[in-house]
Amino acid sequence: MLKYIAKRLVYMVGVFFVVSVIMFVLFNNVPGDRALNQVQNMRGKVSNERFQEMYQQARDKLGLDDPIPVRYVKWMGNLLRGDLGYSTIYKKDVKEVIAEPLRNTILINIIATVLALAITIPLGIFCAVKKFSKFDNAVQVFTIVGYSVPIYIIALVFIYLFSVKLGIFPISGMNTPNFQGTGFAFLVDRLYYLGLPLLVMTVASLGGMTRYVRAAMIDALRMDYVRTARAKGLKEKVVIYSHAWRNALLSVITLIIGWFMSIFMGSIIVEQVFQINGIGLMYYKGLLGQDYDIALAIQMLYCVITLISNLVTDLSYGIVDPRVRINK
Amino acid sequence: MSKNTEKKHSFSLFKRLFGGKSKNEEKDVLMEEALQSPLRTIIKNFVANKLAMGGLIIFLVMFAIVLIGPVFYPITLSEKEETQTNIAPGMGMMKVPEGLAGNVREISVGSTFSVGVDNNGKVYVWGQPKISQKIDIAKDMPSQKEMGNVVAVSAGFDHAMALNDEGELFCWGSDRLGQVKIPGEVKRKKIVQIEAGYQMSYILTTGGEIFYWGNENLNDVRVTKKKGNGHIAKIAVCNNTLMALTENGEVVHMGSSGMDVDKIPEGLGKVTDIATTSNACAALSEDGTITVWGQATGDIRIAPEYEGNVVSMYGGRFHFTMLTDTGKVYAWGDNSKKQIEVPESLKDVERIYGGTYQNYALTKSGKLVSWGLKGYLMGTDDLGRDVFARLLNGGRMTMTIGAISVIISTVIGVIIGGISGFFGGWIDIVLQRITEIVSSLPFLPMAMILTSIIGNSLSENARIALIMVILGVLSWTSLARLVRAQVLAEREKEFVTAATAMGVKRSAIVFKHIIPNVISVIIVSATLDFASCMLTESSLSYLGFGVKLPRPTWGNMLNGCVNSVVIQNYWWRWVFPAIMLSICVICINMVGDGLRDAIDPKSNER
Repeated sequence: MLKYIAKRLVYMVGVFFVVSVIMFVLFNNVPGDRALNQVQNMRGKVSNERFQEMYQQARDKLGLDDPIPVRYVKWMGNLLRGDLGYSTIYKKDVKEVIAEPLRNTILINIIATVLALAITIPLGIFCAVKKFSKFDNAVQVFTIVGYSVPIYIIALVFIYLFSVKLGIFPISGMNTPNFQGTGFAFLVDRLYYLGLPLLVMTVASLGGMTRYVRAAMIDALRMDYVRTARAKGLKEKVVIYSHAWRNALLSVITLIIGWFMSIFMGSIIVEQVFQINGIGLMYYKGLLGQDYDIALAIQMLYCVITLISNLVTDLSYGIVDPRVRINK
Repeated sequence: MSKNTEKKHSFSLFKRLFGGKSKNEEKDVLMEEALQSPLRTIIKNFVANKLAMGGLIIFLVMFAIVLIGPVFYPITLSEKEETQTNIAPGMGMMKVPEGLAGNVREISVGSTFSVGVDNNGKVYVWGQPKISQKIDIAKDMPSQKEMGNVVAVSAGFDHAMALNDEGELFCWGSDRLGQVKIPGEVKRKKIVQIEAGYQMSYILTTGGEIFYWGNENLNDVRVTKKKGNGHIAKIAVCNNTLMALTENGEVVHMGSSGMDVDKIPEGLGKVTDIATTSNACAALSEDGTITVWGQATGDIRIAPEYEGNVVSMYGGRFHFTMLTDTGKVYAWGDNSKKQIEVPESLKDVERIYGGTYQNYALTKSGKLVSWGLKGYLMGTDDLGRDVFARLLNGGRMTMTIGAISVIISTVIGVIIGGISGFFGGWIDIVLQRITEIVSSLPFLPMAMILTSIIGNSLSENARIALIMVILGVLSWTSLARLVRAQVLAEREKEFVTAATAMGVKRSAIVFKHIIPNVISVIIVSATLDFASCMLTESSLSYLGFGVKLPRPTWGNMLNGCVNSVVIQNYWWRWVFPAIMLSICVICINMVGDGLRDAIDPKSNER
């Protein structure tokens, strides 16, 4: 097992470098001159010669005249030391800007995943047990609808229902403007503002997750040990929850990990719709505002998240099903 | 007897086509043993699945509509029409109220509404009188008791005017720019003509004098003695300016000299009548010639040849309508909203009224005939563009992008998966690593970055092609894995050994012998991928990284709809694209699910 993990880790690092090369080359082909952007506001204020000098200084500082491989090594070195670059929108180092949005994004993703699991696991088990009943068929149709409708349409409908018609939730934002309270009051206010986005994210992930749980549970219920348990005359509840569900849980866990990572990427849209200060919105703004240091940093973060989630999924498969491990 | 069985047969065929299980008929023992090809089994299974079949039919209908629709409802990308913004769905713009229909004194057409008065002096408003949340021309109208016997009405951009037989003037509607605040000096004058314009009100007195009030920043009108004030016989309103006809038959422009209508042609002679569109003017000279000048779109400069003498002329927004004493109506100019399509059967016309995009003709027999813009089936958006037309055109774009990117991803996936599965060895290892690298690129952020970095320097069409390629290149990995696994299983089978023994080339074995056996998996995957590509495209466009406005797709039509004003007040701008996109994706997913169940009945049990 250790050897397998080590192999996967080495391989992951390799993929990370390949992806980072792709990203770096892409970002370095951005039209526009970053050095010029930096000194643009000085134009006209200083003499032309001085301006040229400043421009050249900026170019040297950014290393724009170096060949691409040199620049890549420099950038990678900075990245590994934790220097993510300088944001031109926020006029700060990316590292400082990115901390709070990252916390927010992780927070809403965890809450949304937990909420979704709290609904989908009981629902999925129930559907699997009563498979092909009317209720199950209805849920199956709803799950197709659930994973077909894009999240921003769900958001629009929910804003219409809950904000415009019923007036329960605010339309967008993170806190009441100029909110002064601290501690508990702050938290309540924050949750009040995040209520609708969380609801949207939860509802959007119901469809797919219910299907996964149902499929895993149906697989487990078909196993011989379930038949044995029933033959022993155990109560149906015990059969379902102790025998079948515990086995289904293993494959559900691997799915949950992958799912949690994938909604990281999906939260770009939710954050954009509700103007939540998360990394998705920051990425979106960075790309629109041509703040490529920030975009590149977040893009690399996304890549790392995907790689880790692939690794964790693979490893958990290995733990759950030893045959997978032997194959590799 | 034989007739009876035939009937039964055709009925069961119908049943088989549109779902529903046929009863278990007693079959011959040998019949039941009859072999059925796998394809036929799949089709039979699929057809028996009502949900999937329904999804397929709905999808095909939508597909046909968005494919054919744009031919009948073409859109102009640069279209912008400020008089038609945010109009609610409805086709009642020319629905004249019953009381008025047989009894017309005058009709005036405003931007989205029309005002009419009957012979008893009662005023009617119809069309879309709700200009904004607060302003409703129909509700804001002074009561009939207050107005008394109205003799003339005029409808403008967002307000209306009425004049009663005692010479009293009423204005109502939007008062944001003072267009309904009647100045004190006007109240003592005797009025002969009233004209409500674009946020501006004009009146002409018996003394040939013009008075005006309203948005004077936008409407650069300077009425001076030099221009003939005091001797004006008729006024006509352009978009932001005013044209006038003096008593001695001279056309005068009352606005600043920069306007297009200022270039009044020489040699008009004595002019007897004038009419204006938003930015062009037509003058009828004494000898019967009609001259048009100004900024003219389409064939508006060339008046049609006519018989008899012109009785009256009206200008719409981009067209002219006129009536001759033979009772025939002629119209020319822009026809984008069918405003110049005079009904063939129309004859013996007594009077005509025209405006923005609507025309009304009153025949001698007292019948009121109308033609032009009835309304918008799905309303208009913030730039006055027809949502229905954009929905059709946007649907075609969304589906085209989805389909082509699926084709790209399927081709890549099948080739890579096929090669990697069949040849194995180092080729397999290399291709597997490439697949894993591509699949570890986060999909949506990656597509955003590629379109924003590469796409910015491209032309519109190249950009759309780029989006297709990006979606295709990023989404082939799961199919490649699937095909590889299938090929690995298939290549051990006897028919492959047989083909190898016969000396068939290896590439031919892969693509001619093995791939056809895994085609069912490919079809299911392609169907489900089609749905996800459409979703990704619309998400990208929604975020502003896909197809850019003004070119519509279902995704970017929703862009800009996420604010409370639009969500609440202009629901038609987001409800229709959202419904179309959702239904389309749901149907495709249902078809994909149904296909999978039909191909592999075991999967249904999962």
